[in-house]
Amino acid sequence: MGKEKIKVIVSKVGLDGHDRGAKVVASLLREAGLEVVYLGLYQTPEGIIQAAVDEDADVIGLSYLSGEHLVYTPKIVEEMRRNGLDDVLLLVGGSFPPEDIPLMKQMGVDEVFRGGSLTEDIVGYIRRNARQEA
Amino acid sequence: MPGGTPASPGEMVERLVAGDRRAAARLITLIEDQSELSGEVMKLVYPHSGRAVILGLTGSGGSGKSTLINHLIARFRRKGQRVGVVAVDPSSPFSGGALLGDRLRFQSHSLDPGVYIRSMGSRGYLGGLARATGDVVRIMEAMGNDLVMVETLGAGQDEIDIIDVVQTCLLILTPGMGDDIQAMKAGIMEVADLIVLNKADLDGATACRKALEATIGLAGGKGEGGWTPPVIPTVATGSRPEDVRGIDELVEAIEAHQAYLSRSLTLEAVRARRVERELGLVFKDEVEKLVFKALKGTGKKRDYIEAILAGRGDPYSIVEEVLGAFVKD
Amino acid sequence: MSRGRAFKEAEAGCGQVNWDDYLKAYYDKPESARTWSGYEVKEIYTPADRAGQDYRRDIGDAGQYPFTRGIHPNMFRGRYWTRREVVGIGSPADTHERAAFCFEQGGTGLNTIADVTYEMGLDADHPWAVNEVGLTGVNITSLRDMETLVGDIPLDKVSWSVITASTAAAVTMAQYVAVAQAKGYDLSLLRGSIQNDPIHFRYCGFRPACPLDLSIKLGADVMEFCTRHMPKWYYTTVNMYDLREQGITAPQEVAFGLGIARCYINELIQRGLDIDQFAPRFTFYVSCHVDFFEEIAKIRAARRMWARLLKERYGAKDPRSMQFRFAVHTAGCSLIPQQPLNNLVRIAYEALAAVLGGVQSLHCCSYDEPMCLPTEKGHLQALRTQQIIAYETGVTNVADPLGGSYYVESLTDKMEEEALKVMQQVEDQGGMEEAIRTEWLDRQFEMEAVKRQREVDDGQKLIVGVNIFTSEPEKATPLGVQRIPEQSAQQQIEEVRRLKAERDETKLNRAIRRLREDAQAGRNTIPAMIEATKALATTGEILGTVRQVFGYAYDPMGIIESPFN
Repeated sequence: MGKEKIKVIVSKVGLDGHDRGAKVVASLLREAGLEVVYLGLYQTPEGIIQAAVDEDADVIGLSYLSGEHLVYTPKIVEEMRRNGLDDVLLLVGGSFPPEDIPLMKQMGVDEVFRGGSLTEDIVGYIRRNARQEA
Repeated sequence: MPGGTPASPGEMVERLVAGDRRAAARLITLIEDQSELSGEVMKLVYPHSGRAVILGLTGSGGSGKSTLINHLIARFRRKGQRVGVVAVDPSSPFSGGALLGDRLRFQSHSLDPGVYIRSMGSRGYLGGLARATGDVVRIMEAMGNDLVMVETLGAGQDEIDIIDVVQTCLLILTPGMGDDIQAMKAGIMEVADLIVLNKADLDGATACRKALEATIGLAGGKGEGGWTPPVIPTVATGSRPEDVRGIDELVEAIEAHQAYLSRSLTLEAVRARRVERELGLVFKDEVEKLVFKALKGTGKKRDYIEAILAGRGDPYSIVEEVLGAFVKD
Repeated sequence: MSRGRAFKEAEAGCGQVNWDDYLKAYYDKPESARTWSGYEVKEIYTPADRAGQDYRRDIGDAGQYPFTRGIHPNMFRGRYWTRREVVGIGSPADTHERAAFCFEQGGTGLNTIADVTYEMGLDADHPWAVNEVGLTGVNITSLRDMETLVGDIPLDKVSWSVITASTAAAVTMAQYVAVAQAKGYDLSLLRGSIQNDPIHFRYCGFRPACPLDLSIKLGADVMEFCTRHMPKWYYTTVNMYDLREQGITAPQEVAFGLGIARCYINELIQRGLDIDQFAPRFTFYVSCHVDFFEEIAKIRAARRMWARLLKERYGAKDPRSMQFRFAVHTAGCSLIPQQPLNNLVRIAYEALAAVLGGVQSLHCCSYDEPMCLPTEKGHLQALRTQQIIAYETGVTNVADPLGGSYYVESLTDKMEEEALKVMQQVEDQGGMEEAIRTEWLDRQFEMEAVKRQREVDDGQKLIVGVNIFTSEPEKATPLGVQRIPEQSAQQQIEEVRRLKAERDETKLNRAIRRLREDAQAGRNTIPAMIEATKALATTGEILGTVRQVFGYAYDPMGIIESPFN
């Protein structure tokens, strides 16, 4: 059989209330055949990672639209490492300057999808890179 | 697991029984994937399962099931019980994907080490959703949970079959959604042990409650000694703590039903029914796998289909013939 | 689908040109005969399309009911719109500095925005706030912060739009008034506005801070207080802009915005105010998206609808009650991070639409909106965009220059027709409050947002840089990146802690007690909030106390207990 389904956590972190993009991505990933656990607003890094562990997620997708990306990304990556989630993809979307993209990747983000990204690019990336060992 | 060779089923089940969430998560994935290791895993899990209280919550989307579960988790935790939750959401029949949005409503319990939450899509399980969910519930039992809640949509035969896995089945309805009538039609009401009338602060709640109680009265009590499903009004969603109502009564009703099951020995009957169903499902699953494994690569399946289409046979005769050959062997 | 080759540095000669593509481009034509919101439009509109028109009844001159053509007879010939760029960055001192910069460069109105922590009603030292203070606006925890923000700005000369939208707006009003009174200003002479639209803010996150009943209560407290004590102040800017940012259509923007306005109007009438007493001070925040004519038509339709609503439904007699007074924020969601300088062009067209629509006050996005807070240069470009329209293009010489256009009048009618349909949908749900409570409104936003993304994914909506004429992703932001100095947040947090440790506890407790009593007795809470602010009560303490009276947790994030219990 083998697992065809890829499980994605989609979440916001901190106080940022802009969830339009996260909700849209969650819907469209579902239409593309992925299983999406949508956590919504006001999540903490610990809560997100615990969900990723419990759900045995393959991908964590975060959405940042209030300038908080450099504040929370290190905390998220730290939590992932502490919980042994090194093989889980960390994807980030939202609003931030291109200068910060290499910074986030250095911190441990696998790929970045800013506003203006097409759904097929996100889905394509996930399908090519999630569950590499499967 | 970080690097290295993956753990064996035996090692994983050992960790599971010690309460390791990571092990639980990985094992559940094996079941969802319908991995070849599933059988071996379940053999090891089985002896550690079967003792938990199993609640089912069913009802249409928007009825407030998830919010009720959020409250119930808190109450049972306060009583010192360890709680597992399986939240099932429908997978798209076209893409196979699913939006698992129930967890959001009880995510605040994520960091409680005494709570384990898992979302599941209803995706095309060969053995049906009921078997997979049943296996997941057993894994949660083996993990050490005293109580496991299964949340489903209650629509579709697959989901109704899940009822056989649970001991106390809660049907969640809301006033004026028309689903009180629908539920009666779907036969779900025959199966429910508790009817929860959520959003009981809406117009028409009292009338709805009376109508439900009347219908239940007509149907008579379920089981020996007669358990008459009570209708419990609740208001699960309130922005203020004081707006939430009926949860204490709901917990009492659940405990009352559990006590009834023990007292009337119905609990044993319920457990027997669960096991009977599992046996049936596993048999069905494995026999099917066996037959199609034997046919695989032989081209026989295609031959059979062509024969039927050409009018040289029918599914019944063909299956009789094939199974006849198996039995002889 | 991708049209046009992705941009890369040119090589010498035409060897790289695909001549088939070139010819296709030469003969290219619009793929869609629809507006952005999806309405079909004809190839040309003629007098035949205006046959049934009644100018007097349906259009009128500018300054004449139903104000389709504008609320003032001579529009910009009487006075330009206010060039009011939104400013909010880091600490109150940082924000004050950027505000001063805008004044120096020709900005004619002050417009300050709260950060997410302040809108949530959290003090800068709240555990959830410490990581995010100042990232998207300014946090005003105490009277001291408001004093720093105001600084040496003469409140009697400067019209100030204070953007706090949530229930925290009540506290902002109190903080502003406290500072103004300390400086000896006559409240009745102060000009400006406060966004104060907590209902809409539920759809921007912030639901923990904006429970529906508390939103209406505190929103109306501000409105009532200003009506009685600050006649020159606009006490609400009902924010349709943020609703549009969710991805809805132009008619939906108008319909839902007016629906929310009606919630406040009904509450104020219930409090015994006469419609003409308060309606003249109602204002709106409107989006201008990239479909040029649709946005202009939308604005004209909104003006006519508001006028009719106030006159026919609410029996207003004062023409000023019937005037749809609005500010425009060009559409942030129309901008994209790819090829960011293109945003300057989008913003310019959107600003032009706002002006041709007859706007009273305008904020142009900075081109870097999809990426970060505006740099000084970004702010400057936004301001210059407005100034070029005002001083160079000549469009300001005539009121409603597009009035009478067969197309624009027809599209205006269409926008009104569709908006009325949406308002009927809301009525079918049982009215706006029901639509909000049952989360019907949430579902509309979610559905529309998915539709918009699909349109882009499928190529139904073309966006330069996204699905046509794409290029390699930029590595740098053209005019630099605005960073918030780390010490700004730290300093503010430390100051808050010091303030809490050093203030007069007796005075504070007395003021909090009064606030609690006023809230319990159903009185207007603003006077007590002013007193509490002067006693150095903080935003979280003031809001939290009122929240408790209404049965909500003191802390919207559910962590902190009230120190006054």
